[in-house]
Amino acid sequence: MNAYIVSAYRTAVGKAPRGVFRFTRPDDLGAAVIKKIMAENPQIDKDLIEDIIVGNATPEAEQGLNIGRMISLMSMDTEKVPGMTVNRYCSSGLETIAIASAKIHSGMSHCIIAGGVECMSPIPFGGWRLVPNSDVAKNNPDWYWGMGLTAEAVAKEYKVSREEQDQFAMQSNHRAIAAIDAGRFKDDIIPIEVEEVFVQDGKRATKSYTIDTDEGPRRGTNMEALSRLRPVFNARGSVTAGNSSQTSDGAAFAMIVSEQFLKEHDLTPIAQLKSYHVSGLEPRIMGVGPIHAVPKAVEKAGLKINDIELFELNEAFASQSVAIVRELGLDPEIVNVNGGAIALGHPLGCTGAKLSVQLFNEMRRRKNKYGVVTMCVGSGQGAAGVFELLN
Amino acid sequence: MSKRTIEKVAVLGSGVMGSRIACHFANIGVEVLLLDIVPRESNEKEASKGLTLEHSAVRNRIVNDALQFALKSNPSPIYSKAFAKRITTGNFDDDISKIADVDWIIEVVVERLDIKQQVFENVEKYRKPGTLITSNTSGIPIQSMNEGRSEDFKKHFCGTHFFNPPRYLRLLEIIPGPDTDQAVIEFLMEYGSRFLGKETVLCKDTPAFIANRVGVYSIMELFHIVEEMELTVEQVDKLTGPVIGHAKSATFRTADVVGLDTLVHVANGVKNNCPDDERNNVFAIPAYVNQMVESNWLGSKTNQGFFKKVKGDDGKSQILALDLKTMEYRPSERASFPTLEMTKSIDNLAQRLPMLYAGMDKAGEFYRKSFHGLFSYVSYRIPEISGELYKIDAALRAGFGWKMGPFEKWDAIGVAKAMKNMKKEGVETAPWIQEMLDSGITSFYKIENGAKYFYDVASKSYKEVPALDGQIFLDNISKDGIIWKNSGTTIKDLGDGILNIEFHTKMNTIGGEVIEGLNKAVDLAEAEYKGLVVSNTGDNFSAGANVGMIFMMAVEQEFDELDFAIKSFQDAMMRMRYSSIPVVAAPHNLALGGGCELCLHADKVVAHAELYMGLVEFGVGVIPGGGGTKEFAARTSDEFKDGDIRINTLRNRFLTIGQAKVSTSAYEAFELGYLRKGTDEVVVNRDDQLAYAKQSALLIAQKGYTKPVKRTDIKVLGKEGLGIVYVGAHSMMSGNYMSEHDQLISEKLGSVLCGGDLSEMTEVSEDYLLKLERKAFLELCQTKKTLERLESIVKKGKVLRN
Repeated sequence: MNAYIVSAYRTAVGKAPRGVFRFTRPDDLGAAVIKKIMAENPQIDKDLIEDIIVGNATPEAEQGLNIGRMISLMSMDTEKVPGMTVNRYCSSGLETIAIASAKIHSGMSHCIIAGGVECMSPIPFGGWRLVPNSDVAKNNPDWYWGMGLTAEAVAKEYKVSREEQDQFAMQSNHRAIAAIDAGRFKDDIIPIEVEEVFVQDGKRATKSYTIDTDEGPRRGTNMEALSRLRPVFNARGSVTAGNSSQTSDGAAFAMIVSEQFLKEHDLTPIAQLKSYHVSGLEPRIMGVGPIHAVPKAVEKAGLKINDIELFELNEAFASQSVAIVRELGLDPEIVNVNGGAIALGHPLGCTGAKLSVQLFNEMRRRKNKYGVVTMCVGSGQGAAGVFELLN
Repeated sequence: MSKRTIEKVAVLGSGVMGSRIACHFANIGVEVLLLDIVPRESNEKEASKGLTLEHSAVRNRIVNDALQFALKSNPSPIYSKAFAKRITTGNFDDDISKIADVDWIIEVVVERLDIKQQVFENVEKYRKPGTLITSNTSGIPIQSMNEGRSEDFKKHFCGTHFFNPPRYLRLLEIIPGPDTDQAVIEFLMEYGSRFLGKETVLCKDTPAFIANRVGVYSIMELFHIVEEMELTVEQVDKLTGPVIGHAKSATFRTADVVGLDTLVHVANGVKNNCPDDERNNVFAIPAYVNQMVESNWLGSKTNQGFFKKVKGDDGKSQILALDLKTMEYRPSERASFPTLEMTKSIDNLAQRLPMLYAGMDKAGEFYRKSFHGLFSYVSYRIPEISGELYKIDAALRAGFGWKMGPFEKWDAIGVAKAMKNMKKEGVETAPWIQEMLDSGITSFYKIENGAKYFYDVASKSYKEVPALDGQIFLDNISKDGIIWKNSGTTIKDLGDGILNIEFHTKMNTIGGEVIEGLNKAVDLAEAEYKGLVVSNTGDNFSAGANVGMIFMMAVEQEFDELDFAIKSFQDAMMRMRYSSIPVVAAPHNLALGGGCELCLHADKVVAHAELYMGLVEFGVGVIPGGGGTKEFAARTSDEFKDGDIRINTLRNRFLTIGQAKVSTSAYEAFELGYLRKGTDEVVVNRDDQLAYAKQSALLIAQKGYTKPVKRTDIKVLGKEGLGIVYVGAHSMMSGNYMSEHDQLISEKLGSVLCGGDLSEMTEVSEDYLLKLERKAFLELCQTKKTLERLESIVKKGKVLRN
């Protein structure tokens, strides 16, 4: 019993906390993508959707109260479609696609919408109330380290120089700008209407605009500018704001159906998740998680790493990205060909789904068969999913 | 006439002085309109954004840039960043009509008479009758400025002279024009003092007014003496620095900071405009100074003047000094004189000056020569620049940072003694000096019945130095007012049942003798008085606990004694809070460590606006041990509101101590939680502070003061808070933002603030927290690295980060 991805979209990614989506709530952003998927497939009766699974890395405040269920109510015009929220930090958006695929594969379900949403504008990194277990904190404080410190640890342990990181960051920006200029994300992105209500000269005023382009990439990024930035996580370190991913707002979802559902509704499959694997490793160097996860996922798919023609490797930091490309012996020319999170942003819980959408469209352009979405995951994990493009 | 109030001012001109004057008005709560000219065209950056000269961002660029530059400068011209919102900017072309809505128009444009006159002509078109209009100038005669203006304008027009930086330098010279209304003069004198916190000195419209006339004379005289006596610039700076109560930058380094071109400009102004000045030749610029100006060696602004900082071969920076004979730079040399060595141990300036003056070496000769010149000069300035001699002293103290003005110095040396020597050396003085001595009056000042009197030359008798209503000066309280005294403190009776305890230890540090004094003061007040004020007249309120004592006990491993000493400190602080009388602390300038802790325990703090307060114990390797950590735990608890994120409240308090944050003003001390909103207050004029503190103590006593019940309701987070303490400290250490020892100190601090590893948020008593605080303090004193930090402060005066 196979599970097929039949429709997949994302929003543009806004910068957080002062970017284009700072006035748009995560539930609204998520609902907009799902509405688009439903609009694309008018022949499907909404009540047949069996679940909406939403990945989210900080499920509290605006993203709390089971945002998955809120999104299902807001997007479907029916109370019959349930919803749930899944958190595996930065791989949440891929995890949900895996859960949906597995449920369908096992025969439990026939149609699920899965993906992720994250708005980092309204909620601080790590959430509003950080309460580490004091005993764990005393004995293993690095389990709770901020991600920046782990990036520094990776740079040190895998000997990734400042220059290599900056070079990688520059390339990410250049590739992203080239992709935007060539319109390569046009097929990914659904435009979002934003209405801003504010006070001007003491009176209520409004402004409306449409967001259909990723906000993050910087035109004209160069080594000189990057090399001038000061390290932000370690006074004597090499990780800067320029060679780290950006905090972002965004949403991405895919509709996944069974073979039976596919036929009944005359749907065209886009891709299929062949395998998914999550590895655990020392939290201190969580950044290299994909070194462990990718080989396992590829092996589970019955493939060799050389069979993979395209990688979307989440650029949490340039240090870990460079280390992974090097350790796995990947061809840099097939990794993040349209730039990565350093340029395009990293809306944590959305990222896995967002990278999948990007992967499908690029594979289609390149006529690839197998591609991988992979990312490092906080507290010492790595996740990887192998996709086969079908159409 | 109805009472004049100032709610809104317009400052015309946003240069260095204008923008900073605007900030100071914002400091005291006044709404400010700051205007400057429209630029000629848009710049490249603006053009690239498509902004033309029509756009307000371009039109207000000059004023906006100037204000932003001022706001970012260090030391800051503004008490709190939030106060900058009180300033609105605009330009002369579009916004000048708005001056119709202000209460005071302050002109601070470029120092050119024709431009100032143009501005005033324009101002007259929009100014509402009755509005104050002043010109800030350091040299342009006031009477020449208002030619052609209306009668109302002239009546409300006056000169002012703020000193740069206006927030910090206390002098404000007020120079009336020929037609200035008396009520306007009186208003400006009082407003400048009470509201702006300045030492306002009423001046005559004479060249350079009072402070610059005498101050620049004094510098010019030294410019000549350095050659005549073949001294080096380092020697003159050594002789004219803190040893005679002047700033550390003394003479030549001050000249470098001010800029030689500016000094020459003022000196030339006096030289040209005061042909009858009997020492006119002193204002002649020495050849070496001219040569320096020609070479553009103007001081800091051109990176070299009398001194020059260079990088040596070893990469370390080195200070070079100019050899005035060869006009070449050479490594700076340490100056030393036997007389200075001999007087080193004398802290009291009034006692030190006569010894310096009597010195048998070249230093003594220097002092006699320079003081004689200065004394002679100021004697002739009365009544030319001021009818009253106290104004000259006040102007030099407030404008040039002298601890004692010329007449005060002369008093300290002895008027008759100096006169005798001056006669012998043929230095003439104005006849009134001899007349005064002949009449049996031997000093320019005297203190009687809590007031200070000066010799009034015109009436040939003593008159009271005027002060604003109600002001109290500790130094004016005579011996009868001293209730008790030990080596570190004096307890004085302020009248109306209020006592004051002042410290006079080195840097006003708190050691055994101060603790004894504090306890004694509370005992006395409880027995016979209504309240107690803690204030002093030192340079600083208190630099903290006596670290030397802690270091000695720690290094000798006398931990029981140390424990006892810390306990005594804590007990004394608690006694400030828990007594039957109100205790009001009135800190100024530095209030660090123990000095801050004392304030934290007062019933009320009446702070001077210039308050640099902080719990800086981390720097010496410990946590606040005099109840400061306990008090922060209590204040954290008081901030907890239902539904709040408690951890964040804890974190903010933790970081204030953990990063040893020091306020840059009293208002920032509120933001940092050292002062309490709704309880503690700020006084802008230092001269009003004591009176206000006394009144506050009295009012608290009069409404009925009961000894507070000790607190047992301090909510501490226990394990809920400890986790983030460990993670935060470890992360900071891992990121090389702190050392491993800092990590340890942080964990100790966090542990006390959380009340230890309690299972849930728990209400605890102050005593419980004090015990934890003392234990942590002692444990840290037993570590090698804390000992090293203590040693570094005690022996080198430097904070060691090990």
